[in-house]
Amino acid sequence: MNPVIQCPACHASLMEGVFNQPDFAPCPACRAPLQVLVFPAMFRKIAAGQNAETILVEGESSCFYHPQKKAVRPCDGCGRFLCALCDCLLDTRHFCPACLEAGLTRGKIQALDNQRTRYDSIALALAIYPILMFFLTIVTAPVTLYVAIRYWNAPQSIVRRSRVRFVLAIVIALAQIAGWTALIISMTGHNA
Amino acid sequence: MPDIKYQRLTGTHTRQAFSVALASRTSLWLGPDHLLCVEYNGFSETYKRFYFRDIQAVTIRETPWRTIWNGILIIPLGLCWAALMTSSDRGTAFAWGLCVAVVGIPFLLNNLWGTACACRLRTAVQVEDLPLRRVRKARRVLQRIRPLIAAAQDGEIPAEMVTTWLREAAATESVAPAPAPAAVPAPPVVEGSPVPPRLAP
Repeated sequence: MNPVIQCPACHASLMEGVFNQPDFAPCPACRAPLQVLVFPAMFRKIAAGQNAETILVEGESSCFYHPQKKAVRPCDGCGRFLCALCDCLLDTRHFCPACLEAGLTRGKIQALDNQRTRYDSIALALAIYPILMFFLTIVTAPVTLYVAIRYWNAPQSIVRRSRVRFVLAIVIALAQIAGWTALIISMTGHNA
Repeated sequence: MPDIKYQRLTGTHTRQAFSVALASRTSLWLGPDHLLCVEYNGFSETYKRFYFRDIQAVTIRETPWRTIWNGILIIPLGLCWAALMTSSDRGTAFAWGLCVAVVGIPFLLNNLWGTACACRLRTAVQVEDLPLRRVRKARRVLQRIRPLIAAAQDGEIPAEMVTTWLREAAATESVAPAPAPAAVPAPPVVEGSPVPPRLAP
């Protein structure tokens, strides 16, 4: 991406007068009030990727994935030796591509997590929405209980970590099951 | 790896000003070295991380949404108010009073929250809208993250330097020669291939 900042309103390239000002300043083209904060990363050159060095001296440690390439560090996940090409830096830790892949699929590395299913919200929705058509609760109440218990230990939201929704869903589902049980007992008792 | 603790920076907002209630909602969180934008669609959350070291620019633009909402709310509010003033019995007055409250509270909040804005964040590879809708809130958030970004990028740039550097970058872009088109290798001729060999130009 070129180091050009455009006005969000008129898309004209901004050149002066609006950057790092304490208050709003008008866009020179459309006069829309703007405040633009520019940081040094805007002008930072993107570093070229590292090349893996070929092993020249016999007996040198080699990369686990590229036996002809020189190892530069071990993986922080599995300890395998890595060449500069296989060395993936994440925050301050170095991983091999396999550990990164495993971390992504198993949700072991939180910094790689880009999606999580909110089973607590699903359980609560299953408990609450069918109340609008109460006869559905005879099916949804056990399903709610199953979801709440089955996914009790599943990874939660990375920002909100509470099981209140699970608890609420379980309470509502139990109340629904109790209601249905009472209704069925009263009906069978009445018939008898 | 230990779990990262996040602090909430904004409440949840829909992406668009007139989105329906079921649309996905976004919120902004502060991590130790990044901002986290959480998009929640009711049953799953999607996360976008903006590391302080990668943030190139943040743009706040004033928008007319406060005035638009005022324009939308003022007419029913006026009508309900007039009906409340002219109602004779207590039951009708209570009903109109309820209507005034239903319309009046959003009207009041819209004005208390202050001027509306749209906030954008730019990195080397993306431009993202942030869930910051009011100038006061956006400034409060920026006040909080600006020192963190500056610390991650070894300082800030003075205003006049930004202009100079942008001009230099623009000049370099215009002077730089266009990259030569890569030579297209002739396709290999395979014995018995049904495609006839092409003549090199």
